[in-house]
Amino acid sequence: MSQELTHWLDDLLEEIEGIKIRRKSSRRVRADVPADALPALLELLQGRAGYIHLSAISCVDWIEDDEFELVYHVWSYESHSLVSAHIRIAREPGVYLSVYDLYQPAGFFERDIHEMYGIHFEGSPNMEKFILTEWDGPPPMRKEFDSEAYVNEHLNWQEYNPPWLQELIAEGGGVIIPPEEQRFSRKKD
Amino acid sequence: MSSIKQIPVITERKGNPLARVFDEFVRFCRSRSLFILHYCTGCGAIELPPAMTSRFDMERLGIQPMVSPRQADILLITGYVSIKTLKRVILTYEQMGSPKYVIGICSCTVNGGMYWQSYATAKKLDEYMPVDLYIAGCMPRPEAVLAGLQKLMDRIHSGEANSWEDYFRNYDYYLGNQQKLFGENWQTPTDIITEAKHYDLIGEGTLGKHTQLLEQHQKPLEALDMRLGHDLKEPTE
Ligand code: SF4
Repeated sequence: MSQELTHWLDDLLEEIEGIKIRRKSSRRVRADVPADALPALLELLQGRAGYIHLSAISCVDWIEDDEFELVYHVWSYESHSLVSAHIRIAREPGVYLSVYDLYQPAGFFERDIHEMYGIHFEGSPNMEKFILTEWDGPPPMRKEFDSEAYVNEHLNWQEYNPPWLQELIAEGGGVIIPPEEQRFSRKKD
Repeated sequence: MSSIKQIPVITERKGNPLARVFDEFVRFCRSRSLFILHYCTGCGAIELPPAMTSRFDMERLGIQPMVSPRQADILLITGYVSIKTLKRVILTYEQMGSPKYVIGICSCTVNGGMYWQSYATAKKLDEYMPVDLYIAGCMPRPEAVLAGLQKLMDRIHSGEANSWEDYFRNYDYYLGNQQKLFGENWQTPTDIITEAKHYDLIGEGTLGKHTQLLEQHQKPLEALDMRLGHDLKEPTE
C-alpha cells in the first residue's frame, strides 16, 4: 500500500519544474524547489494528495550564502507521511509570499518568522509583534545578531562556585567545563 | 549582699519589658505560617508539585501555596526569568505586603544558568529585588527545596531574614538596574518611596538620581476602571 502510494506521490511531484526529491524514509519526503514554485507545490499537495495539515514553517539563516531557507512541513492524515518543502530566498530584501490563503495556520508561523528573522511575508494577515512585544532590538535569530555581546553589554553575570563544589571538583567530579571556557568572550588565550 | 541595683537591666529597649518576648513570639509565629506565591517562571517549577503534595508535603512545615501576592509571604521564583517576565515579577513583588521574602530556585536565577548568553533572560535576580535565599541546582530536587525553606524559617525565626527592608533602604540601586534594562520610562503602580516612609525605612540609598528620573517621568497613578467584561466597548466620541 505505502509502496504504491509513494510511487503515485512521485509521479505527482514530477509535475513541478526544478523539483528535487529525496526520500528520507518511507514516511518522510524532502523536496527542494525553486522559491517561485512553492505555492504550486503546496497547492498540488493539498488539493490532490491530501496533505492538508501545515505543521510548521521553519527558517534557517545561511548567512555565508546570503540566503534564508524556509521549510514547509505538510502532513497527510491519509498516507501518514510528511513532506518537507525546502526553498531558499535571498537574505536581502528578505521578502517572500505568504501561503495563508492555502493554509491558515501559516499566519502564525509567518508572524513568528517575521519577528525572529525579519522576513516579510507579502499577503500575510498580520505582521505585528508576536511574542517579543517588548523587544525593540534587531530580529534576534538572525545570525548577525550577537547575543553574547548583547548580554555583556546589558547584563551582569556572577560566578557561582561555592566551597562544596570546589571540593567536588578537586575530587574529579562536578563541573567539567569551567565558566571561562564556556563564555567565549571571556576566554583567556 | 546583692542589691536590686546589681541585677542587669537591658536598657536599650525602653517601654514594655515584655517587648522582647513578644518579638520573639512574633518571629516564631511568622516563621511557622508561611504562604508562598510561586511564580513559575521556568522549568524549575516542576519540582514544586511533589514538594507540596503528599510525598514531601511542605504543609507540615506550615508552608502553603497562596493565590494572590497581597496575602503571600514568600515569592518563589522557580527558574529563568525572561526580561518580559521580570517586569511582572517586580510588579508582583512590590504588591506583596511586608515582611516578604524572595527565594530564587534554580541556577538560572543566580547567574542565568544555561541561558547565560541569551538576550532574553535576566541574569542576576538580586540586582532587581533583594533575594533572601538561592537554591541552586538545575533543577533542585524537592529535598533541596524543603531544606532551603527550612533554612529560611530558621532565618526568619532568628530575625536575620530582613532583606525586604533593603528594597526600601536601597531603592535607588534596584530602580537603577530596572531602568537600565527596561528603559527610563519604567514605572510600577506601587509607590515605593511612600511605602518606605510608612515603614520608616528611608535610608541613604532610598532616594538618588534614579528616583529623580522616575519623578520626572512619573505619571499619576489612577484607579482602574472597574467594568464587567461584556460592556467593555471602544470609547465613543
Ligand atoms: S536552572 Fe535548569 S531547571 Fe532551572 S530554570 Fe534553569 S534550565 Fe530550568
